[in-house]
Amino acid sequence: MAEESFLADDFLRQLMSVGEVDLLVGIPSHNNASTIGQTLQTVEESLRQNFVRERVAILNMDGGSGDETRQIFERRSERREPSHKGLTSLRTIHRISCEYDRSPSQGLAVRDIVAAADLLRARACAVISPATPNLTPSWVANLLRPVYREGLDFVAPLYERSRFQGLLARDLLYPMSLAIFGNKIRELYSDEWGFSGRLASQCLEQDVWHEEAIRARPEAWMAIKATGAGLKCGQYFLGQKTASPGAPGPDIVEAIRQTVGNFFWCMETNQSIWNGRSTSQPIVTFGPDHELSSDGVPPSQEKTFDLFRSGVNELEPILASILAKDTHAQIKAISLTDRAKFHFAGELWVKTLYEFAASYHHAVLNRDHLVQALVPLYRGRLYSFLQEHANSSPDEMEAQSEILCQEFERQKPYLLERWTAKRE
Amino acid sequence: MKTVIIQGLSQAYSNLVHMFAEFLPRLLVMLVIVVVGLVVAYGLKTILRAVLHVTRLDRLSEEAGASRFLRMAALPSMTELLSRSLFWVTWSGFILIGISVLGVAGLQEQISRLFLLLPAIFVAILILFLGLVTANFLSRAALLAAVNAGYPSPKLLSWSIRFVIWALAVSMALEQVGVARQTVIAAFSIIFGAFMFGLAIAFGLGGKELAREFLERNLGEKKAEKYEEPQPL
Repeated sequence: MAEESFLADDFLRQLMSVGEVDLLVGIPSHNNASTIGQTLQTVEESLRQNFVRERVAILNMDGGSGDETRQIFERRSERREPSHKGLTSLRTIHRISCEYDRSPSQGLAVRDIVAAADLLRARACAVISPATPNLTPSWVANLLRPVYREGLDFVAPLYERSRFQGLLARDLLYPMSLAIFGNKIRELYSDEWGFSGRLASQCLEQDVWHEEAIRARPEAWMAIKATGAGLKCGQYFLGQKTASPGAPGPDIVEAIRQTVGNFFWCMETNQSIWNGRSTSQPIVTFGPDHELSSDGVPPSQEKTFDLFRSGVNELEPILASILAKDTHAQIKAISLTDRAKFHFAGELWVKTLYEFAASYHHAVLNRDHLVQALVPLYRGRLYSFLQEHANSSPDEMEAQSEILCQEFERQKPYLLERWTAKRE
Repeated sequence: MKTVIIQGLSQAYSNLVHMFAEFLPRLLVMLVIVVVGLVVAYGLKTILRAVLHVTRLDRLSEEAGASRFLRMAALPSMTELLSRSLFWVTWSGFILIGISVLGVAGLQEQISRLFLLLPAIFVAILILFLGLVTANFLSRAALLAAVNAGYPSPKLLSWSIRFVIWALAVSMALEQVGVARQTVIAAFSIIFGAFMFGLAIAFGLGGKELAREFLERNLGEKKAEKYEEPQPL
């Protein structure tokens, strides 16, 4: 088996002592001593309450934590909470802990979880982040159940969002993945998701796990693989997700490098999936397919505009090598407009992104540098969006999002043209 | 008198004939060596070009930003440049061997010196190329990081990095070919030292406020108020 070459002996021994399971929950960790105990408790509670007769295993894949993350996971003895009512698990919940590497990598952790799922012949698996502060037992069950009971192969979460959070996902990743891959999954990049043993086996066969794009963010690639293979995908509304105060998540630069870099890489390596595609693949949605809360005030964004303007100015030669002359000229022109009248139109935004994607394909410069050059432009679009929607209702914002999706779809032939064009 | 002149002329003529008789075969050998060298150099150039096409060196060079510099200098692609260089180095080698066959006094020593220099020149070119690629890559990485973090004068930072690496590469290349070793080392030390000293003065005196801000932000216990953007994901 392919996984024999990279799984540690001790880990293999632990897996073999478990035998086969129906469900597997993987918890990738790195210095999560303060939260892993609570996460483990929530997962166990969920499994005890919702999967009474199933054989289950919880797997902690640690990326060289310097604190007591692993010890806490291993020490925590399985026990039935006195508050439990009704029927609880009739079987032992196995816990396995292993260090996959001395440095953290979500991709390598997920690779080992996927390998374990394949070895244990798990039918349904879920990846749960110990950094999620408001994880509830129902989240775990809702990611596992559609796979285990409804036969889905990939289940993404859906979160309730404040109007001004998750803009990278709403303004770039979701509409672009919808237009390119026909993928209606809104949270393509998330910390929690579920997948089937069948998808695990297919993913394990791919020799991509050491790719830089996968090391940081493997989840979107798994979803795209599932879509490409014609497997059933779905999304489950989990509720509001709050940011962990101790770990607020990656900043814009890192988030764009991880997600947009990964998305462009998925486009590059899965051309056969999207090149001839003309329709989107239907997916099952459990609960509302979006939920924007009207709370939250738009943050002050003066600096965002300054960073956009200086970025366009300072990176002029780099942007000139990525963008078409006309697009570059338009961006330079709007960067010179008055702050109050500034508007980064959806049409220009889509064109810009498609030209970035095509330039990534043609490797006009180092690909990581190319993705980083998008950051100032994203800030411009962000500033424009926040100005435009400072007083918009969630419904108005959702309607605007739909228009943007259509714009991505409308300009797709332009992407194909740039993609297949010979380099100048 | 007349006989002496005729004898002298006859001697000179016979020497000339003798010289030509000795020289012509050597000239012929030289021409053969030059032609063979041309064929060998052309063959090597073709092989190297094919190998470099397979290894996609042009794409690598494009990604690293070296191709942009080549275009700016109206030079061909990296693959073409390297294969042409190999052609000329090989053919020049054969030409020099050919010339040495002529046995012209005084040329032998110069040719052997040139031969000794050839590998060093090749290594120097390689050093310059690597320096160009590294300087371009690192300066662009610094520019992007500085722009995205909102640091002031990102271009200055980027050009400083580029300049330092170029200076290092040029001095290493010159040292490799043995051109005024001591002068090059001294010049590099002076330029590098002056540059660093200038930066220190500019940062410490000219940018006192900036330096304070920077140190407070990065090293101070009391962190400056952080600019917060909405959570992207």
